[in-house]
Amino acid sequence: MEEVLQVANEWGIWVAGIVVVIICVIQAYLYLKQCFKAGRELGLEDSQMKQGFWVGAKTAIGPAFAVFIIMVGLMSVIGGPMAWMRLAVIGAAPTELTAAQLGAEGYGVEFGGEGYDLQAMATSWWTMIINGVGWLVLVGLIGHKLEPVREKMSGGDPSWLPVLSGAGMLGVFGYLIGGDVLTLEGPMYAVIFGAISMVILLQVAEKTTEKFKPYCLGIAMVTGMIFAIILG
Amino acid sequence: MSEQINEEMWEEVYVKPVKKVGMITLLVAAGLTFTPLIYLYLAHGILPPMDAALRSWGLVAAAFGAFYIVEPVSYYAILGLAGTYMSFLSGNISNLRLPCSAMAQEVVGVTEGSKKGEIIGAIGISASVLVNLAFVTAAAIVGMAIIGVLPEIIVEGFRDYTAPAIFGAVYGQFSMRYIQLAPIGIGIALIMLGIIQAPAWLAILACVFGTMGIARVMFNKDIIKGD
Repeated sequence: MEEVLQVANEWGIWVAGIVVVIICVIQAYLYLKQCFKAGRELGLEDSQMKQGFWVGAKTAIGPAFAVFIIMVGLMSVIGGPMAWMRLAVIGAAPTELTAAQLGAEGYGVEFGGEGYDLQAMATSWWTMIINGVGWLVLVGLIGHKLEPVREKMSGGDPSWLPVLSGAGMLGVFGYLIGGDVLTLEGPMYAVIFGAISMVILLQVAEKTTEKFKPYCLGIAMVTGMIFAIILG
Repeated sequence: MSEQINEEMWEEVYVKPVKKVGMITLLVAAGLTFTPLIYLYLAHGILPPMDAALRSWGLVAAAFGAFYIVEPVSYYAILGLAGTYMSFLSGNISNLRLPCSAMAQEVVGVTEGSKKGEIIGAIGISASVLVNLAFVTAAAIVGMAIIGVLPEIIVEGFRDYTAPAIFGAVYGQFSMRYIQLAPIGIGIALIMLGIIQAPAWLAILACVFGTMGIARVMFNKDIIKGD
């Protein structure tokens, strides 16, 4: 395993990772520029768009810190550069870990265990990569075809649009918390206390200062986690 | 609400350039993600054995394949065009992109699902890409040292409980706004996952489009009001 990790941490793989990360940063920059341009046409003030940027940045701090901690765990099994590349862009920890494990399974060894040699690691990486490519290629090819679907669902009624979008959020996150609630253990407490603290925090923010709002998610995340550790 | 922007103008200044950049960046990135494997081959002559590669491709496609299509379709109404391209290139969608997009729209005070909402949401996402990149880069450099001083229980807490806590928090945030819909999303999830034990891809479709459908009925009956 040590030899495997030594190769996994070679500089060449950092370079390979950096190239992909750069694409992602270029994309974010181009979209930011285009959004400011399109936003002005829509009558948005620059100050509103800058506010949107900073709210996004501040809201990201809590979840990104969680990614930070989880990534260090991932580094010890798939190496630093791959963990960095898959979590900075492209993937998310649970998906990447599952794919890496399935790669080892396809190779016929236990992930990170006896017999996990360089070829096994190459198979793990291949599996993570080919899995990620599925989303990238499909969204790359059909992403723009989804707009007409949304238009159809909205039926051109502007007052229905926010409800449609909100219902989508409750659907997606209902699905995501469903599995956690059914554990009836730690993750369930994390969901419950994350939700309760977020509701309280947002109400406090509404009565005091809007500036507090971007920090609510991070605080709710830590609160949910603490209760889950205590009760779980 | 001054949403009455010329559709042609919107097409020119937003849809066309966003689509072009999105297609190019995603497809180029898809190709470039193979470079670590190319490096392994060039530097060490190592390739995954063909049979193992095909077998694990089959395994991973069986586990995630349905999501390649189900996720973009389910998330599109929330993320919009630029948000979709950005989210699927940058990953960490449910724990980072969706919450940041939603909070940016909430604080700026734009209507979700509107063009203004789409712009502000995408700006929030692009900020989250940069913040996350800073954190994971820090993790690569000093992560080991920081983990070393944190108690094991905290590290495990972050690993096991932060995602459910974030999901719960976002659910709470949207429940406040559409309290009538709050039992619906989780209700469908519990039925699909707990009682029917449906596969994940089917459960997510049922949750998203089921909640949207019930929302439409409530909206038509004036139980829920839009902005």
